[in-house]
Amino acid sequence: MSQEAHSAPRSLAEALRSRDDASLGALLRSRPDLITPVPTDLTQLATRAGTRASVLRALERLDRFALQTAEALAVAPDPAPYPTLLGLMAGDAGDETVAAALPRAVATLREQALVWGDDERLRLVRTARELLAPSPQHPSPTGLGPTVQEATSGMSPGRIQEIVAAAGLPSTHDSVSAVAALTGLFGRRRKMAKLLAGAPDAAREVLGRLVWGPPYGQVTADPAAHLRWLLDRGLLLPTAPGTVVLPREVALHLREGRAHRTPEPLPPAVEPAAAHSPQVVDATAAGQAYTALATVEELLKDWDEGGPAVLRAGGLSVRDLKRTAVALDASEPVAAFWVELAYAAGLLASDGEADERYAATPVYDEWLERPPAERWGLLAETWLSGTRTPGLVGGRDAKDRALSALGPGLDRSAAPEVRHRVLTLLAALAHGTAPDTESVLARLRWERPLRGSRREDDPRSRLARWTLAEAELLGVTGRGALSAHGRALLGAPPAPAVTAPATADDAATGPGDKLPVHHHRAPAHAPVLAPLSPADQAVATGAAVRLLAPLLPEPLDHVLLQADLTAVAPGPLERPLADMLGVLADVESKGGATVYRFTPASVRRALDAGRTATDLHAFLAEHSRTPVPQPLAYLIDDVARKHGRLRVGAASAYVRCDDDALLNEILADKRGAALRLRRLAPTVLATQSDPAALLEGLRALGYAPAAESAEGDVVITRAHAHRTPPRTAPEPVPDGPPPPDGILLAAAIRAIRAGDLAATTPRKDTGAPAASGELPRTSSAETLATVQAAVLTGESLWIGYVNAEGTASQRVIAPIRVEGGFVTAYDHTADEVRTYPLHRITGVAELADD
Amino acid sequence: MNGPLIVQSDKTLLLEVDHERADECRRAIAVFAELERAPEHIHTYRVTPLGLWNARAAGHDAEQVVDALVQFSRYPVPHALLVDIADTMDRYGRLTLSKHPAHGLVLTTTDRPVLEEVLKSKRIAPLVGARIDPDTVAVHPSERGQIKQTLLKLGWPAEDLAGYVDGEAHPIELLEDGWNLRPYQKQAVENFWHGGSGVVVLPCGAGKTLVGAGSMAQAKSTTLILVTNTVSARQWKHELVKRTTLTEEEIGEYSGTKKEIRPVTIATYQVLTTRRKGVYPHLELFDSRDWGLIVYDEVHLLPAPVFKFTADLQARRRLGLTATLVREDGRESDVFSLIGPKRFDAPWKEIEAQGYIAPADCVEVRVNLTDSERLAYATAETEEKYRFCATTATKRKVTEALVRRFAGQQILVIGQYIDQLDELGEHLGAPVIKGETSNAQREKLFDAFREGEISVLVVSKVANFSIDLPEATVAIQVSGTFGSRQEEAQRLGRVLRPKADGHQAHFYSVVARDTLDQDFAAHRQRFLAEQGYAYRIVDADDILAEGTG
Repeated sequence: MSQEAHSAPRSLAEALRSRDDASLGALLRSRPDLITPVPTDLTQLATRAGTRASVLRALERLDRFALQTAEALAVAPDPAPYPTLLGLMAGDAGDETVAAALPRAVATLREQALVWGDDERLRLVRTARELLAPSPQHPSPTGLGPTVQEATSGMSPGRIQEIVAAAGLPSTHDSVSAVAALTGLFGRRRKMAKLLAGAPDAAREVLGRLVWGPPYGQVTADPAAHLRWLLDRGLLLPTAPGTVVLPREVALHLREGRAHRTPEPLPPAVEPAAAHSPQVVDATAAGQAYTALATVEELLKDWDEGGPAVLRAGGLSVRDLKRTAVALDASEPVAAFWVELAYAAGLLASDGEADERYAATPVYDEWLERPPAERWGLLAETWLSGTRTPGLVGGRDAKDRALSALGPGLDRSAAPEVRHRVLTLLAALAHGTAPDTESVLARLRWERPLRGSRREDDPRSRLARWTLAEAELLGVTGRGALSAHGRALLGAPPAPAVTAPATADDAATGPGDKLPVHHHRAPAHAPVLAPLSPADQAVATGAAVRLLAPLLPEPLDHVLLQADLTAVAPGPLERPLADMLGVLADVESKGGATVYRFTPASVRRALDAGRTATDLHAFLAEHSRTPVPQPLAYLIDDVARKHGRLRVGAASAYVRCDDDALLNEILADKRGAALRLRRLAPTVLATQSDPAALLEGLRALGYAPAAESAEGDVVITRAHAHRTPPRTAPEPVPDGPPPPDGILLAAAIRAIRAGDLAATTPRKDTGAPAASGELPRTSSAETLATVQAAVLTGESLWIGYVNAEGTASQRVIAPIRVEGGFVTAYDHTADEVRTYPLHRITGVAELADD
Repeated sequence: MNGPLIVQSDKTLLLEVDHERADECRRAIAVFAELERAPEHIHTYRVTPLGLWNARAAGHDAEQVVDALVQFSRYPVPHALLVDIADTMDRYGRLTLSKHPAHGLVLTTTDRPVLEEVLKSKRIAPLVGARIDPDTVAVHPSERGQIKQTLLKLGWPAEDLAGYVDGEAHPIELLEDGWNLRPYQKQAVENFWHGGSGVVVLPCGAGKTLVGAGSMAQAKSTTLILVTNTVSARQWKHELVKRTTLTEEEIGEYSGTKKEIRPVTIATYQVLTTRRKGVYPHLELFDSRDWGLIVYDEVHLLPAPVFKFTADLQARRRLGLTATLVREDGRESDVFSLIGPKRFDAPWKEIEAQGYIAPADCVEVRVNLTDSERLAYATAETEEKYRFCATTATKRKVTEALVRRFAGQQILVIGQYIDQLDELGEHLGAPVIKGETSNAQREKLFDAFREGEISVLVVSKVANFSIDLPEATVAIQVSGTFGSRQEEAQRLGRVLRPKADGHQAHFYSVVARDTLDQDFAAHRQRFLAEQGYAYRIVDADDILAEGTG
């Protein structure tokens, strides 16, 4: 490959061919869509790199300056030498920052295979050029209009000569050289200045309005004098009746050569908002990390006995989310975050029963057994790499369906990347420094200008805001600054005390064509830390867990009991103690400490759970550092005294008799064992058998029992007539559907006729003859060619079409427009204008001429 | 990181009392957090917007508050809470009420959007006049209170810098012969005077009247004192004559029976809120003189109409006195906006520790209903249930036993139901003071009790407030106004005055077991338990056995 390096490549494929393995690797790493599936050769790779979808993807991943460079190339001549590009970017004045940053941007574009060719002939990949070059439909971000040549393409030679003369140029013998002369004039600063010096003030004002775009303006049929002055000299050129455009060369002259009003060569810095001591940050984050664990536990404990139901469409109902938020004492978005986090970590899931509910998974029980820091590790790792985006909960999707927590439609593939990027930006600040949110967002927008537009609520900015809020909730950051364990989670070096801007590393990643050395610089903005592979992430999480562990509070084994019937746990409690207290008392307030209140109901709950008053006294005495207050001891005894004095059980039938002896006899009778009678009182026996069976059984033993009603009366048994509840008589069922009305009939006939037309219209032989009624089959190239031809001729076509559900149909369409892989056509079958993706068209055939 | 304070997520602060830095911490947080409960080990403070604004009104800023939390907290304080505190405090003082030389009372802002926001409110619109400049809007002087109240509800409390009228001057001096204002009373007067208007919170028996007298001596102007009832009015008069240079002639009583208006006038809430044909005929009292100071006794009982009148009195200095800011009707925010922020607060236990109020032994005696009473209780109508269990015959026996046990000491028996009290009076051979007892008769009996001529007095709820029975050392409560927490506090206050011989006070609450009475008692006691008064619970049988044995 390298022997060809000396000669300039003639195509992208050749340029790629001349790149070494490292440089190709860099290309494929940054554009992974190029190797799925792996291309057979470099020509195919180059073709694929030039497809619209792939180029769009690549453009979306450019930072603002690289994108601006590409945009400048799109308005430059093709190919453009490097100095021309530099002129467009840096302007006539030659902005030095831009000049310094430009080689990096060009290198990035080269690496991405968006630009190829040597410095003498920089070429933007054709698709990219089409996407970025200005056209009336898609104005370029540069705000530049078409070139003189493009704008004069439909103009009469006479008119061109007039313009040339008015501009003060000698007349030429043909239009081409006239346009060239005009272009040349507009490109020469001094001459242009002289020409414009003679312009009326109003004309200069018009130019000033159009110079930064949009370059189009409206004129009346009889333009004012100052406009006429401009039109006469070609400083404005007509594009359509009533519309004029400022030619690109003129605009560039007025802009002093700059393609962009404000080139942004340097990424905006992430501004620090506040600086805390690293200890405070780490401690706050650790405190919050502990709270996160407690919250997840509380959430799942709350759902232990029957969690909320799963909605039919999936997810948690708004009401359940509200209830959960109240239970967690958090706002709804925060509650949604915890629920989603537990779900993503596999701690909760739907139980899959007929009456589907959410519940904790077995993984949760294992998770509970692990040390706190490790539990946090799982949550943090899940959050960092997960695509579930709880921030969306409560919003609506593109089809205006509500997005519910745990429901579908919450995955955002950009989430892990944004989260990682935001945290790495934080990591670049000195330890303990909290960033200014807006500056973080500005930086993100600079890095992905096409993804994150300048609007405040673009998806990436929203993701970034959520990331900052969630990182705080999870204890990855503390008081807004990245904690030491958060840093470790990213796999970053332990504690860079000072800001470490990404240094340009010349040697390590040096892609690009075999060209002058300034092209080999690594992009200066490249993230210091790439998202880690799962294995590396596990290592990083391990490191984070080790850093966090000593910061988490030690569980306590005691509480403070007070005479106002409260107990205060001045810190987290050991789990058995916490569980027992949770039963014995109600939690009144949570946070660093927990306040429990003893009430008769809570004490009764403990007694119901099988504890005795003695147990409870012993438990309190053991875990209290101070004597148990008298009112508390009294409360327990008082509740215990009453507890269980009334007994409740279920019986389905009883035997009552005033004669104890008779009941003794029945109980003693072995034959009656099957009735499972139990003595409740001297004169009452109870059984689980139903009354009818009991009657039968007693009769079989030779007794003569009488049935008793609920009120205690003897039930008289006699035959009675069985009746249904009130019912209406059945409606008659007619034979067949009701006769159709006129509208329905007309619609049906139209549909039938159209289908008939599609099926029976004779068609031309397309070389791949299809049996009558079968879907036509043609190759995609043929399809495209035929459809494009039909657009020009305005003919109708017969197509085979497979819809999104996979149903094949035949349609007769009259194509109107083909663009971006879609055909817009009047569909005779449906009687309306529709748009069909080309790839879904299995084949086309022209309609046979009758 | 081993401070005495734990910050909870519900914005309560737990203070470990036995911690070595507890005192320091208490002083730091008391400025912005309300003491909610003060049992033996851990005191609970609550951070509320009102508390934070109180702190702002006292000149503290968010940084100090955050510092105090961070400095004393045992665990890291959640960032969100700190941000919330800073935000809340920041809301106070964005709007200011002040006097404009040309336009009179004006509302100005330092933050224009806030002014825009509140002016959009339908409730503010009728209270303001013309917009003077983008940051200033005129306010009708008569709406000074109303606008403060409404702004507080909108969450933008206004700082009132419009000042006060001096009122008609009247010489008043404290007559400190053989006694002095206690240090905390001095502090309370000073804080109040410095702050302009506001509320002083002191426990019953801690000498709130003297704080009132001290403030009057500072104001040296005509004063209107609003009290709960006539007995209390006489009490104030007596105390003022004794403690200040004021004479009987300078002090008027404005009540149901007398309508005197003098330089210092003591009026009852009842007469002010009397309505005839839809109007309050006694309202002109507020305008009858150019009052320089208005004192509200027992602010927590201030009836709703008085709030309305108070809204019109914003140009006068206002002093609220109370034992607790807890209002059963939850109108704490009106107290804040109309009377003023809290200016002084001291927990009961602290004043008790300084020896200014007597230590008390609180005991709940549980009596069992007899079997027939239980059956009757179970079948009683819902509205009759409490009355039934509260007046059980067993209570009488227990009360008699207790009176026997403390024979020779001054004993008060307090109850709700007249039948029960009459019966008790008969059995104990003690006089009964109830609503129908004439004021003259009451005074006579109280005097006799003070002199020790009678040692047992049975009183109904008329004696709940502000009567001074210095030598009562034992109070026996047989029934109460359902679950009223402040009534319990008032009743305990009856025995908390420092005793001549310094011996312990006793407070007995006789309660019927397993009934509504017990539930209400628990509710009533919660306030005191939270103030650190631990109730012991004993069974009636123990008392009765001891009595006979």
